[in-house]
Amino acid sequence: MNTTQDITPALEVHDVTVAFDRKPVLWNIDLTIPQGKLAGVMGPNGAGKSTLIKAVMGLLPLSSGFVKIFDQPIDAVRNRISYVPQRESVDWDFPASVLDVVLMGRYGKLGLFKRPGKADREKAMECLRQVGMEAFANRQISQLSGGQQQRTFLARALAQEADIYFMDEPFAGVDAATEKAIIQLLTTMTEARKTVIVVHHDLQSAQQYFDWVILLNTRLVAHGPLETAFTQQHLQETYGGKLTLLSDVGELIRRENFPNREGTVPKMI
Amino acid sequence: MNPLIQFFSFQDPNIRFVAIGAVLLTASSAIVGSFTFLNKKSLIGDAIAHAVLPGICLGFLLSGTKNPVFLISGAFVTGWLSLVAVEFIVSRTRIKEDTAIGLVLSVFFGIGILMLTVIQKSGNAAQSGLDNFLFGKAAALVGEDLMVFGTVAVILLVTVYLLFKEFTLLAFDKDYARAIGLPVRWISVTLTSLIVLAVVIGIQAVGVVLMAAILITPAAAARFWTDRIRVMIMLACIFGAVSGLSGAYISFVAPAMPTGPWIVIVISTIAFVSFFFAPRRGVVSRFIRQRTIRRTIHNENILKALYHLGENDKNFLAPRTPDEILSKRSLDRDHLNRVLYRLKRQGYVELSKSRWQLTDNGKTRAQRVVKIHRLWELYLTTQLNIAPDHVHDDADTIEHLLTPELEAELEKVLDYPREDPHRAEIPYP
Repeated sequence: MNTTQDITPALEVHDVTVAFDRKPVLWNIDLTIPQGKLAGVMGPNGAGKSTLIKAVMGLLPLSSGFVKIFDQPIDAVRNRISYVPQRESVDWDFPASVLDVVLMGRYGKLGLFKRPGKADREKAMECLRQVGMEAFANRQISQLSGGQQQRTFLARALAQEADIYFMDEPFAGVDAATEKAIIQLLTTMTEARKTVIVVHHDLQSAQQYFDWVILLNTRLVAHGPLETAFTQQHLQETYGGKLTLLSDVGELIRRENFPNREGTVPKMI
Repeated sequence: MNPLIQFFSFQDPNIRFVAIGAVLLTASSAIVGSFTFLNKKSLIGDAIAHAVLPGICLGFLLSGTKNPVFLISGAFVTGWLSLVAVEFIVSRTRIKEDTAIGLVLSVFFGIGILMLTVIQKSGNAAQSGLDNFLFGKAAALVGEDLMVFGTVAVILLVTVYLLFKEFTLLAFDKDYARAIGLPVRWISVTLTSLIVLAVVIGIQAVGVVLMAAILITPAAAARFWTDRIRVMIMLACIFGAVSGLSGAYISFVAPAMPTGPWIVIVISTIAFVSFFFAPRRGVVSRFIRQRTIRRTIHNENILKALYHLGENDKNFLAPRTPDEILSKRSLDRDHLNRVLYRLKRQGYVELSKSRWQLTDNGKTRAQRVVKIHRLWELYLTTQLNIAPDHVHDDADTIEHLLTPELEAELEKVLDYPREDPHRAEIPYP
């Protein structure tokens, strides 16, 4: 591994603003995450945590700024990116088995038209083993518990063999033992220089889990290594109530139908 | 000749055209419709079906002939336009999708009817039969139509075969598909084009109004029978083909009968049967499952009552009168009799001189229910700190439900206690 690649940040977010219905929900975010970090995105409800990772992955249009992953535009490195969406974002009554869902993780590598083969199936089974779900491979997904659904999504992400992982609340509805096992797995991955970015709710466990944190409350409060960013003062700033002036101005932009940057008219979602 | 043999020997070229045409249309619509169904976009098919009418009229006006290639091209254009209009309205205004579909559907259809009327009044001789698109003309299919249908059906099948995994992923989790770099926009456009194509050829068999039925109903019916997407689409295809063939046959036997509506009636009947009789998901199956559960609960409650009587006088196998049982468990007397006779058939109780007594099997089963009831009460009071006078009703449900594994775990967690919170003894075998 050469040294220039080593110092390339996994993620660089530059002056990113995201708006829903013209109302900015993320203001001017600037941050970088080095490779090999297990990073937690933290903040109160409505702080824009999910919005941030969706915007970073290009699932939401940016009103301003740009995102680079491994110093390249996102579309150039799609095959190195993995995503664990929120569990509630899909209909679990879909006619598919657990293995079918995990195999979807191979689709990016397979490309169009090709079908998953024996090697893909083996890889998928290996990923199911890693999350302790191999016994459920042929189970219909509507019969899974919340924690099992979450682990299925995790196995699907692992099957991608990506370099950077975005996970939206992967511990929602997961029991404590499973949560420990997953964190163990993620730590091993970061030791292999994978970067894992996790939207997380629980402040208590954040200190033990992450070595990098991003504190968010519609704007970036702090980001960096756990020791410097995860301070009492920053937490106070993040969770100590919203900045009323900022959200009032956002509301005004929506009401007046104002383009929030000259020349860039955000598309409505 | 027997009409059945005459029809299914396919000797007569007219029969051949109609039968093959109807099957091609319904089967390929069912396959494409399966993905609209899984995408939860069932109404889209209806919007397209209505929106192709102005396109057909336009194709006729511009070409001056009823050549299917021109009509289909026109239909394809306005069908697509309607979808663009729906998407535009949803993304740029506060109007929700169902309202947008309703708006677009009626505006396009209105324009279509207007144009059709103008054409019919124009005195152009070539226009006769254009109104077939309103209600379909499956019984009048000719070789030329079949060539077009066959081509479109092959395009549909090959595309679905090639993009099967992409269509599936998009229906299940679109954001993920986008995140891993699939060309989501391009795949969506392809699927939409397939739907428009399927509708455009489908309406020639069943007409604008009934098109949504042959698109969506086969998939909805197939979903009742399976949890595997491949099997589901295969079934939808078979259901579609069967309805197409039956529709053609019925209108052959009774020539006054229109083919299109019969296709829809057959596929609706299949859906109806699936809805009621499919294993697991069907209404009847669910009803039977519920009834079994209810019966188990009644059975076990009566066994429990006999056990409680036994506890009172330390004689579990003593014969009891129905009145004694009713003192422990209030129940309709006829109902009690039905339950007791059922238990007798299952070997849990015996009847002698109009008195009922537990068999050994019955005692074992009753004892287990009582044990779980008391263990659960203890669990709720000691582990969850729930007041002892609030735990009885919960335990009354749990006692019929607990699996042997959970029962063993419960015993272990509580460390095989001797008494429940009300100081009643917990019986172990």
